[in-house]
Amino acid sequence: MNLDTKSVYTVAKKEFTDHIRNRWILILIIVFIALTLVASFLAGQRSLSSDKTLGGAEDTVVTLLSIAGFLMPLIAIMLGFSTIAGEAESGSLALVLSYPIRRSEVLLGKFLGLGAILAFTTLIGFGTGGIIISISAGTAQILGFLAFIGLTILFGLMYLGPMILFSALLKRRVTAIGSGIFMFLWSPIYSMITFGIYLATTNISPTDLMQGGTISLPNWMWWSISVSPTDLYETTVMKAFNVQQAFGFQMPLPGFLATPVLLFFMCLWIAIPLLLAYVFFRRRDI
Amino acid sequence: MVTQSISCPKCHTQITIQGTPGQHQIITCPACGTKGQFMFPASSTPQPSKGQTCIEVSHLTKKYKDTIAANDITLTVKRGEIFGLLGPNGAGKTTTIKALLGLIRINAGTITIDGHDIYHDGVEAKKHIGYLPERVALFDNLTPIQTLKFFCELRGEDPAQIPGLLKEIGLTDASTRKVGGFSKGMVQLLGIAQVLIGHPSIYILDEPSSGLDPRWTKVIRDKIRYLNDTGATVIFSSHHLSEVESLCDRAAIIDKGRLIAQDSLAKIQSVVQTKPRLEITIPGLQGKTPKILQGLTGIISLIVKGDTITITCDQSLRGKIIALLEEADYTVSNIKTIEPSLEDAFIKLTGGKTQ
Repeated sequence: MNLDTKSVYTVAKKEFTDHIRNRWILILIIVFIALTLVASFLAGQRSLSSDKTLGGAEDTVVTLLSIAGFLMPLIAIMLGFSTIAGEAESGSLALVLSYPIRRSEVLLGKFLGLGAILAFTTLIGFGTGGIIISISAGTAQILGFLAFIGLTILFGLMYLGPMILFSALLKRRVTAIGSGIFMFLWSPIYSMITFGIYLATTNISPTDLMQGGTISLPNWMWWSISVSPTDLYETTVMKAFNVQQAFGFQMPLPGFLATPVLLFFMCLWIAIPLLLAYVFFRRRDI
Repeated sequence: MVTQSISCPKCHTQITIQGTPGQHQIITCPACGTKGQFMFPASSTPQPSKGQTCIEVSHLTKKYKDTIAANDITLTVKRGEIFGLLGPNGAGKTTTIKALLGLIRINAGTITIDGHDIYHDGVEAKKHIGYLPERVALFDNLTPIQTLKFFCELRGEDPAQIPGLLKEIGLTDASTRKVGGFSKGMVQLLGIAQVLIGHPSIYILDEPSSGLDPRWTKVIRDKIRYLNDTGATVIFSSHHLSEVESLCDRAAIIDKGRLIAQDSLAKIQSVVQTKPRLEITIPGLQGKTPKILQGLTGIISLIVKGDTITITCDQSLRGKIIALLEEADYTVSNIKTIEPSLEDAFIKLTGGKTQ
């Protein structure tokens, strides 16, 4: 595959300039910042009163995790769903492709430009939160927090890749929106199903789980998170921050799910959909 | 130093100018005073000589689910000519144009532009093409300046030409507003501006005057003539026959995905042998058909509208018709012969309506 980096950069820059001025993306960024501020403020308060700095960082990360858990997919879906289906339908893609540029360059440029928006949003959203934490709690975990931001951006890209695939595959903008709703619900529904299977095949009752204490899940359930972006992301973050406790549960992570393994799965979630997107986009009538 | 001969877009006076390759120059026409910008072609892209094959489409076939949009179309466009693609809506004009640009996968056939196969060597083939889609769509959140800058970068051209392009289409005042708030016509004009970036040597225009008000139709015709005068090849589609007749050197007629004819305009007209029409004006006729003309053998068609009778018939019958009318005491105030137009040829060829 031949790639001209200048063409890729040109498309990426255009995507960034175009979408950064999109009303909906702007609203989501503001929501992001607001939620992060509230979360880190509350967590910071708690950590000061209990005099446990580390616990504060843990709490903050867990709260931020759930914010990112629904905001990142939302932003990625909004950015990705119409990038090919919508532009092919309107006709602007035909114009772009009449220029001396390869389809692979357009696709990669789109991914990088939209990915840059995701990264920018995350940096602003969590960055402001990070500043508040370091001021109020005085934690010097800047590197750790940056790693968290990095993982969150990776998480967003795990939704952007598949959304670009759906956009390359589906003929119309409307059906692409449908695929976005599917993607948004995929992780929660998938978790519910696997958890249902788990409860049905063991003699643990849901009330046992609600009493707190230690939950030890079977290995197949841990492996199965590789097909659920949200679970992969949350597990990786918890592993990286050595968070053992979430919402009152002790959840020791199995040893075989080492951080590199988790990161590998996350990268697969980006690479495979993008390659498939190229296969479909290359053959598509514009 | 290069010497170039151009013709004024307004009065068609030949002007000889000198400059360096790639240089922009403001030129004032000595005859009518029209000012215009001219860019000398960069030395790296010498203008190949006229008459060579520029675009070659052979046996192009494109099927969609249940229709054949293009059925074995073969056509050749020579360098430096204005080529018209004529046909009713849905005939396959846009499909042919999209195939020229490699935008759609084709079922059979080959397409080469300047010797480069569009499907194997697309980047090279599209280097010198300016394309105007029938319905221009751009990016809602970009301004005209940002939009044109993007296209300049894609074609590897200097963005310094953007203010001049915006001025030409009259969008200078709107140059920092978001395109999303533009009217259809303004978006179409911006589409025309991007076609002109870097003075391509081939222009592919899909219904160039659609979506614009009539005052722009003339501007676009003049522009096409001007571009052609500077050596460019222009291929455009249209269902406005007058447009094709007034501009093209050669034309192809497409209907229902098939190529019906491809030749010089004069030949297309002669091939179908459409007869000239006779237009006779008789004051006070008021829509009544003169009795002596009713049932006259040799008259192919006869239409009376107000005081005017339009007759299609053999040349030999003309004198007889006039004589008969005068015998019957009709005062003929005006007689006009209308040469067969492409519209007649078109209707005859396709057996249908033009629109």
